[in-house]
Amino acid sequence: MKTVLELRNVTKEFPGVRALDSVNLHVGRNEVVGLIGENGAGKSTLVKILAGIHRINEGEMLFEGKPTSFRSPRDAFNHGLAMVFQEQSIIQTLTVAENIFLGREQEFLRFGIIDKRSMNSAAKVELAKVHLNCEPSEKCSKLDFAARQMVEIAKALSLDGRLDSDIVILLDEPTSVLERREINLLFEIIGELKAKASIIFISHRLDEVLEVSDRIYVLRDGAVVHETASADASITGLHEHMVGRQLDHEYYRENKQRSSFGDPVLSVRDLTIDGELRNLSVDLAAGEILGLAGVVGSGREAFARCLGGLMLPSSGEILIDGKPVKLNQPNQAVDSGFGFVPSERKSEGIVSGLSVAENMTLAAGKRFSRFGFIRFDRERTECQHWIKRLQIRTPSVKTPMQSLSGGNQQKVVLSKWQIVGSKVAVLDHPTRGIDVGAKEDVYELIREMADQGIAIVLLGDTLEEVIGLSNRILVLRDGEVSAQFDAPAGAKPDQLDLISNMV
Amino acid sequence: MASINLRALAPIGVFFLLCIVIAIFSPNFLSVSNAIRILNASAIPVVLVMGATFVILMGSIDLSIEGIVALCAVVTASLVLNDTTAANLGMWAIPFAVLTGGMVGAINGATHVYLRVPSFMATLGIGFVCLGIATAALGGFPVRIADRGFRALTLGRTLGLPNGIWVATAAVLVALVIQERTRLGRYVFAIGTDEVTARQSGVPVERIRILVFVLAGLFSGMAGVMAAAQLGQGHALIASGRLFTTITAVVVGGTALSGGVGSVLNSVVGVLIVVVLTNGMVLMGVPPFVQQGVQGFLIIVAVSIALDRRQLEFVK
Amino acid sequence: MGKFSRQTVLLATAAALSSGMGAASFADDMTLAISMRSLSNPYHATFARGGEEFAKSVNLPFEVLVTEGNSEKGLADIRALISRTNGNVCINVDPNDSPDAATIVDEAKAAGAYVVTQWNKPDDLHPWDNDPNYVAHMSFSGVGTSKEITNALIDAMGGEGGIVAIGGILSNVPAIERKLGMEQAVADTDGKVEILDFQPADWNETKAFEIMQAWLTRYGDDVKGVWAANDSMGIGALEALRQEGKAGSVPVVGIDGTEAALSAVEAGEMAGTVAWDPMWTGGMGLSLCHAAASGAIDITAEPHEHREFYGTGIVVTPENIAEFRERDTSFDYGDYWAKSTGQIQYQQ
Repeated sequence: MKTVLELRNVTKEFPGVRALDSVNLHVGRNEVVGLIGENGAGKSTLVKILAGIHRINEGEMLFEGKPTSFRSPRDAFNHGLAMVFQEQSIIQTLTVAENIFLGREQEFLRFGIIDKRSMNSAAKVELAKVHLNCEPSEKCSKLDFAARQMVEIAKALSLDGRLDSDIVILLDEPTSVLERREINLLFEIIGELKAKASIIFISHRLDEVLEVSDRIYVLRDGAVVHETASADASITGLHEHMVGRQLDHEYYRENKQRSSFGDPVLSVRDLTIDGELRNLSVDLAAGEILGLAGVVGSGREAFARCLGGLMLPSSGEILIDGKPVKLNQPNQAVDSGFGFVPSERKSEGIVSGLSVAENMTLAAGKRFSRFGFIRFDRERTECQHWIKRLQIRTPSVKTPMQSLSGGNQQKVVLSKWQIVGSKVAVLDHPTRGIDVGAKEDVYELIREMADQGIAIVLLGDTLEEVIGLSNRILVLRDGEVSAQFDAPAGAKPDQLDLISNMV
Repeated sequence: MASINLRALAPIGVFFLLCIVIAIFSPNFLSVSNAIRILNASAIPVVLVMGATFVILMGSIDLSIEGIVALCAVVTASLVLNDTTAANLGMWAIPFAVLTGGMVGAINGATHVYLRVPSFMATLGIGFVCLGIATAALGGFPVRIADRGFRALTLGRTLGLPNGIWVATAAVLVALVIQERTRLGRYVFAIGTDEVTARQSGVPVERIRILVFVLAGLFSGMAGVMAAAQLGQGHALIASGRLFTTITAVVVGGTALSGGVGSVLNSVVGVLIVVVLTNGMVLMGVPPFVQQGVQGFLIIVAVSIALDRRQLEFVK
Repeated sequence: MGKFSRQTVLLATAAALSSGMGAASFADDMTLAISMRSLSNPYHATFARGGEEFAKSVNLPFEVLVTEGNSEKGLADIRALISRTNGNVCINVDPNDSPDAATIVDEAKAAGAYVVTQWNKPDDLHPWDNDPNYVAHMSFSGVGTSKEITNALIDAMGGEGGIVAIGGILSNVPAIERKLGMEQAVADTDGKVEILDFQPADWNETKAFEIMQAWLTRYGDDVKGVWAANDSMGIGALEALRQEGKAGSVPVVGIDGTEAALSAVEAGEMAGTVAWDPMWTGGMGLSLCHAAASGAIDITAEPHEHREFYGTGIVVTPENIAEFRERDTSFDYGDYWAKSTGQIQYQQ
């Protein structure tokens, strides 16, 4: 097999950190290579080196056998290395076709003017490759997250047939927001793509990496610690290599699942959101975890956002401790006792410029100030307490939030709502895009929150996660509750039962 | 993190570099009396940038500065002993004028927040209204101040320094405390960096926005009082040119117009840079017809050095 | 002139606001109007009041148009006024910019309206080439008066020493003329007086304040006198001197005769200012225009020095300020050229 992309003894150092330590890696033509590792293992540094965002300190990168160094993601793209990032690069105000061919409009220029019709029909061809059924002239802002991801993949695929060289497509956490059906489709597409391109697949879901890859690299602490053909690997084995320890306790902490609950906290009566949700009624007690299952557009996101004060209900009632509450504004939701952990952590969960402490106490301003003046001692003590308790890896409470890893950022977000004393935590994909080790910490934390008497509404990253964590599961379909399952420890419902009610 | 802190010091570096260059051409520049003159000329702009910095940190902009300063200077001049009205409130005129500024700030904020007018347009319009009121009330004539005690606010000296410098210092301290030690200050950064998250965390974004415009109005009001005391009169044109200096100083100081990054202390340095530049132009004998060009060029150089562009994802 | 004119200017503003109604109710009468830059400075406010006084004396409707420094707005307002009155209008206009005068004259000729211009017009545009609608152009000798006030400054300095000079916006005609007059007066001293530095402060008080501060650092006690191209900047410089305890010991002169400057002259802090006579330019400009329009005089038969003439700028110094305050400010609307100081001369 011909090697398309190769890294030889690549080392990358940042002040005080050796992010990559003589990494050797190669990708063959028509091969799908999986890349796994915990947060901080060096995955994103590796991606940024491939993309030309970072420069190599030692070693070299070879593309089609020639030493290469890309100047920017654009440059890499033009040479045949296309990337689909976790943080989407789609410009929402442009149309699907405009996004796919952004920067490459020459192809469609007629006397300096873009021929939209031919661009749209060319886009249609690329969209067909990802089986995305949308109009190329549609604005990307109208698409949901999953569809935008597909547009991004279509954009990468558009290189095929337009370039003489081999094509490498790097998929960085492409499945984290996709539903199972869409993931299957993606894997199908990857299967088709193999004939034309090489693929680097980065994911924190070991089962998916195993399923889709031919060969797998495991990164830990900046070095490749394991390389294996997928056929010879197992999830447990990969996990051990990744975390450097054994998966020795139960993943979803089922043993810590509560079976008795406190007083009812949240009551929802006939909640309707036009076009999203119809007549949802549910009660939730202190310490109970309610899982919401459903495909994209089933109404579960709308319900979650409604509880966060981000979406107005058309009719129905929401009661906390038996008293009706108004949730027209996010601050009303916070004052009523809701804590919303949004799925888009980077843009909605954390304030990057502020410090860890400032993020932690952002919602609890009143508790940490007197006459408007901040009580720094009290704030520091409280934050240090949570940092220790949640094992948040941060040099200090004053460290800027953006320098923490995704998992640690999420712990800060969760601690924010515990500090403010939320009665109901609404967790919208709380483990999206964080690695296995950090995930376990988050599960532990969710159990702890339940023990403290916080009622939890959970939109899981995977169905497995929802089943594993919840006491009770509501299945939604087309805006209505289609089924309800009890999920006590040791007697969890089957995935297939849920799926049959989802679609 | 260390690099970020170093970068924040860049405006100070620019300031010292500027001082050294001017001092080479004109040794008088380094005299104590000139230092006092520079500080004195900085007093009013410093008070103005205190408010403007908070507004800009929040990601908004306040273009009503000249209007508020003029209106408050007129209010001040009309309330102390003067040649036009019968009032003689002495120092009590100060709170009235400052509160007038705060009220206009509240109108700025409310227009911006409740009518959802971009702060750029809301403050521009209200600034013109203020100028209009000042013009119409006086018919184009100045109100001249006859109250010597009041004028001591800028003309008098305490511990060898003109009182205006002390007033400005007090304004900086107040702003610094607000920025560093209050919830308001923290919320300003949170909103400026990431309004969506701040809102979701329950920060009362609307109320904070209005409060910040009130704060800016109070500082502008105080600047109006000082302008009246310094020039001994109040009239509609008393603040012309102040807006440009203020915004320039904030940006030169390293506060990003996109919000979230910067500090009131940076803006103090920004004012010093701008004032020293004007002072130095005259001291070095730069020909008048190239001064504007040189000034514009140096301001761009200063901004490019002072702004940490790696922190900014885009510049608009 | 400060106090008495305030309420009348407010009336003038109100008149301007309600001009639509006013014009309709006086449809048969000739309308009188003043057009100028802004109501927010004393000179123009008094100029408008002069026009209003004349309008009252002949009992005709009166309007004030304000350009706010915008030529387009100024022209549009005048155009609207002319068409509203069917050309039955007399306008005393201080054009926002010199080229505007040509357009205004063309509009007036086309509609049969009558205009008098003040201060700004192109050098090659003359009333006698546009008979009878372009009645006259009035101005003040920038060079001559500036020379006079500079001499007053030199006298106050005892005839020798260094001066610093603050100019207006470098491209403005009055700024250029005033600077020239100052330079001529200094040249006449044969080197006894020296211009240490010249800086433009764009007519702005605060800028003049900051420049004066820098000069005190650069020249210190070598500054024996301060020349400013208008009173606002003169006051700015004076306040910078006051800050250093030098108000009164270093003479300052300005031009315009604002109340602030006159008081400073009285207090001995300024060595002089030039008082224009905006009551006269406002009133007499309209009076002359009205006379030509109503046929009281045959303007086309008048000599050139009655069509383009300078008004009287009075140099006010501590010696004559008392006299100036007491002077008889009334004038006869029929005696059109009593205060003229000669035909306008053009600088090459």
